[in-house]
Amino acid sequence: MKKAYYIFHKDFSSELRMRFALNALIMFVVVSLSTILFAIGSEKATENVYAGMMWVVVFFSAMSGLSRTFVSEEERGTNLILSLIAHPVNIFLGKFLFNLVLIFFINTIIAILYLTLFSGFVIQNWYSFILAFVLGNIGIATSSTIIAAIIAKANVKGTLYPVLAFPILLPVILMLIEITKSAMVGESISEVQSEFFVLLSYDVVMLTASLMVFDIIWKD
Amino acid sequence: METLVQFLEKNSIYIVLIIVLIVWFGIYFFIYGLDKKVKKIEEKLEK
Amino acid sequence: MKSILRITVFVLITLVLILSIVPPIVETPKNFFEFPLIPGLEDKAKIIFFHVPTAWLTVIAYLIAMLYGIRFLKTKDIYNDMKSVSSAALGIVFCFLATLTGSVWAKFTWGSFWHWDPRETSIFILLLIYGAYFALRSALDNEEKRARLSAIYSILAFLTTPFFIFIMPRLMIGLHPGALEIDPTTGQVKASSNPVIKFEMAENMRVVFFLSLTAFTLLFFWLWNLSYRVLRLKYKLQTEMQES
Repeated sequence: MKKAYYIFHKDFSSELRMRFALNALIMFVVVSLSTILFAIGSEKATENVYAGMMWVVVFFSAMSGLSRTFVSEEERGTNLILSLIAHPVNIFLGKFLFNLVLIFFINTIIAILYLTLFSGFVIQNWYSFILAFVLGNIGIATSSTIIAAIIAKANVKGTLYPVLAFPILLPVILMLIEITKSAMVGESISEVQSEFFVLLSYDVVMLTASLMVFDIIWKD
Repeated sequence: METLVQFLEKNSIYIVLIIVLIVWFGIYFFIYGLDKKVKKIEEKLEK
Repeated sequence: MKSILRITVFVLITLVLILSIVPPIVETPKNFFEFPLIPGLEDKAKIIFFHVPTAWLTVIAYLIAMLYGIRFLKTKDIYNDMKSVSSAALGIVFCFLATLTGSVWAKFTWGSFWHWDPRETSIFILLLIYGAYFALRSALDNEEKRARLSAIYSILAFLTTPFFIFIMPRLMIGLHPGALEIDPTTGQVKASSNPVIKFEMAENMRVVFFLSLTAFTLLFFWLWNLSYRVLRLKYKLQTEMQES
């Protein structure tokens, strides 16, 4: 387990030092939100639209930022060294942790910007929203990491990642949109408990599956 | 022959049926032919 | 063995075609060869004999593709990967057909070609999953890597499909039987009044329906068998040419 933390720490500190991924991501978020602002302006939209848009921005920022952990290893040729020092489970957990922190950070920024920029976006049931936020981020991080591992082995960058990840991430996104909608109108958690249940089971299932499957992807 | 044409014109559903069956038979025999060709090549490869 | 399959397929599908097209839809069916009238559906009810099998088949095809993918991961035999791809290739064809036929029917039953009804959306998602599978395959040259990674992707994607097939239609409002509806009197969302799979189908229609399901499934197996034999031949010929 400690090894997983070391791998996470290595990625985290190199990211803090160089900030390749971080800068690109933050710019991406700013640009997309600005585009939406210009497009919609001060017009009021329904809850559905706000909820949908926010998670769309989240999805695309995840697509632009989360493949870096594996692709950079492949590019720099450090794969072999990595597989020598650590057990595959630890490698995956380390990368997963990194992506998790990254996505929490970015999504918090997105959520805050969203709340301040769009007056129509108000959340009444914060418990619901925050719980969904946490569970959803875990789900997004899990799937994005494992798909990133897969495409790192394929040599086509960029476009393949969203194509592969979208169907896998869709359950999370859909549930998050539903729960956000209900949180906006102030419904209690019990009304969306089936959605939460799906989110929780998704996290558990995908995390387990990723851990089992990563070994096969990683060995060459 | 006359009464057959008259019958078909009245119950047009049978025209649909005949056409559909023709299409199906065509497809079926095409696949069957493919199967035979593949089997021939497989046998040739064996020896 | 093979010829039994072929003859059965031929007979069954011919039978299904006749039995689905000929019987008229009448108010009060008097014998086996007349189908009951369902208000709102009328003649279009017969689509169920063809549209549902294509949707069923695309799921089965995907399942088989995944199973043979797993078998490849265990045995490392490339032949299993060939079986996997050919099943996926057939699966995507049936997926197209299911989406298309459903869309055409939706136009004439509910008004427009596409509604984002949960079940419509889920068959579309399945199409995206198939597309992603083939996109992944085309990006990989090394055959062992290609087989391995596409097998893994098929497993991961399969884990999300129960969500689309079972959970989504029940959690969201939709038109397909089995989804949530808006109660006309109170305007509230309520559970469905129609069961998901209408086992209340009339006796004679049920017979034809299951015949159709069986017939198309057998047809799938024949086509799949042909498909992977061709792949194997191609592979053998290539390796033979390289050796000589």
